[in-house]
Amino acid sequence: MADERESMSPTSIGLGVLWPACWTGLPIKLVIALLAMAMGLMQFENRLGLAFVMLLASPVTVFAAPIITMAFDSHFGEGIGVPLLFLLSIPIDIWALGVVGRTFFLERFRKEPPEGLGLTLWWRSAVVGAFFLPALWFLMSTVTEIAMSTSHSVVEMESLRFLFSTGLPVAERIGLEVTLWGTVASVILIVLLTIGVSIIGRIIRSAAEAARPAPENYQGLITRWDLMRVPADQGLLLSAFTGTGVVLTLLFWAALPVTTPHPHECCKQPEAKVQPPFKPLETLNQDEQLIARLAAQVEELERQKAETEAGKDEKEKGTGKIQGGQEAAPPAVTKP
Amino acid sequence: MERSSIPSAQPTATERFIAFLDARVGLKEMQAKMLNEPVPGGSRWAYVFGSVLLFLFFMQAVTGILLMFYYVPTADHAYASTQYIIHEVDYGWFLLSYHFWGSSAMAVCVVAHMSQVFLWGAYKPPRELLWIVGLALFGIVIGFGFTGYLLPWDQRAYWATTVGVEILDKTPVLGDFMARFLKGGPTPGQLTLSRFFVIHVMILPAALMALAGLHLFLFRVAAPAGPFRGTPEEIKAKTDYFFPRQIWKDIVGMAVVFAGICGLTFWEPVVLLEEATPDPGDYHPEPEWYFLFYFQLLRLKIFSGEFGQFLGAVALPAVFMVLLVALPFIDKDPERNIFKRPVALISWIVVMVVMALFTVSAVINREFLD
Repeated sequence: MADERESMSPTSIGLGVLWPACWTGLPIKLVIALLAMAMGLMQFENRLGLAFVMLLASPVTVFAAPIITMAFDSHFGEGIGVPLLFLLSIPIDIWALGVVGRTFFLERFRKEPPEGLGLTLWWRSAVVGAFFLPALWFLMSTVTEIAMSTSHSVVEMESLRFLFSTGLPVAERIGLEVTLWGTVASVILIVLLTIGVSIIGRIIRSAAEAARPAPENYQGLITRWDLMRVPADQGLLLSAFTGTGVVLTLLFWAALPVTTPHPHECCKQPEAKVQPPFKPLETLNQDEQLIARLAAQVEELERQKAETEAGKDEKEKGTGKIQGGQEAAPPAVTKP
Repeated sequence: MERSSIPSAQPTATERFIAFLDARVGLKEMQAKMLNEPVPGGSRWAYVFGSVLLFLFFMQAVTGILLMFYYVPTADHAYASTQYIIHEVDYGWFLLSYHFWGSSAMAVCVVAHMSQVFLWGAYKPPRELLWIVGLALFGIVIGFGFTGYLLPWDQRAYWATTVGVEILDKTPVLGDFMARFLKGGPTPGQLTLSRFFVIHVMILPAALMALAGLHLFLFRVAAPAGPFRGTPEEIKAKTDYFFPRQIWKDIVGMAVVFAGICGLTFWEPVVLLEEATPDPGDYHPEPEWYFLFYFQLLRLKIFSGEFGQFLGAVALPAVFMVLLVALPFIDKDPERNIFKRPVALISWIVVMVVMALFTVSAVINREFLD
């Protein structure tokens, strides 16, 4: 057991703290996000998945998210609710990292958690995230773009075309392309995330090295960290929890739009539109009417043209006589 | 000591009522049985999916009943009544959108629950029956999604159902009968809508309630499997009762899922397409997003032609389901640690990667078609 503790890699330490800490804070952050959405304080664009990940991992994305938005012009939501949510996430994350960190120190390191562990872990994780995540974003965007264009070129290769008598079918082609660029992007993402988590793990390990060992045996430690999660006054907590729940429910129903909320200008979903159905009889009738109308118009135009030409001819005949007279006169005049 | 001599106070009305019920139905014994279940290795977040699924079903039932107050299950009025719910009924958009995204959440949670049981090795003896009943419940959840999709009676609903019934038609022996029974005619119409409605609101809920009860009963008989790692000393030290810690985690899980579904309703409320007609126009039929991977899989050339269609539409899912049913009987190794079961781990990863890959491919294919 002691060997296992000493041989714990920075990655497993980082993952062991960050993963549960992110999920511990999520329910509270989700409630705030939900209220903000109901009040129309924030709208998410098509990248809802990205927004969720950013919120989930707010202990490391709290500073990184605005940097990414400003540096790469790549935002995932609009409205005052977004910065407000990240601001409110700070105390929640400090609390979550504190609870998880103390448990981890006792159970896995068997060391006394130092005072202010949550705050220490939070600011260090947030600073690491502020530098690391924008770099990760840039690298991932570049790699994915290159991988997509390369995979597209690979699939377009003539040598591959010969593999199939009628060329590469669309579904296979798309599948092949997604597999190619997806594999490259996933591998790079996993490697970079492992590096990032390992950096956090080193920070936690350095904090653990300075801590003193816990005196209890395993059973005692388990009891201690278990009791750390049980409130001293359970009745008070239950009442407070119920009261908060009631207030939040009332707020939610008060803020909930009665009719379908219209999406913000920035975040409109692409509308799936269907062409009006083809009705053969109606279309035929309409076409017949159109043809008849056009034929009548053509006839009318021809008639007008004929009239114009007839009028022109008559005019020309008239003017021709005059012109003929005028033209005929000079030779007579010039005739010797 | 002096206090003990004081006669106890008279029981309150609530206490008397509880005592009345207890004497007749054994309320306290039932409560003790439900809450004092030992959870080996203590409570875990990984165990919340079962309770979350029950909560989701309850919410689907509540929102479904509320929608039924306005919905008219006839081909003439289904579309108009759904539009009425969306645009005229107070909070109708929210109820319908919640019901719509709730069905997606059920599909996701069922897969998550099955994955947890698979990775934890919790299907192994003595829990084979529990696993098989769970698979039947999975089928019911998929059935809910399929039958509910037609009810709004727009182009999306109509054509997804048409494609789905065509796939069903390829099943040997029973396929033709099932397709004719579901459609009730050569093309989807009033009978199709009536049958899907009855299956959706009567048959499937009853089947789900019965099987969920059986599932819970079998779970209590077999007892929770507990974690797959850790020494007996560690597991014993962490063992806890179902109440309060696991219940607390379950409640938080339910709250998170509720908030998530509400968030999705704000993000993308349900919007109907044109009313259903037997002509798709420029619309490219496709099923609900969680079936997209399978839909894309069927587009592969290997699954074209008479035999290919049978292979993709019938043989492949049938073999997969048979394998899942037979899993506890094939895998007799008592080892539960997933990191010591490489075949199981790799199989699960392959299935998940294939699902993700083909879902992304289907989305790209949609853009290609558009």
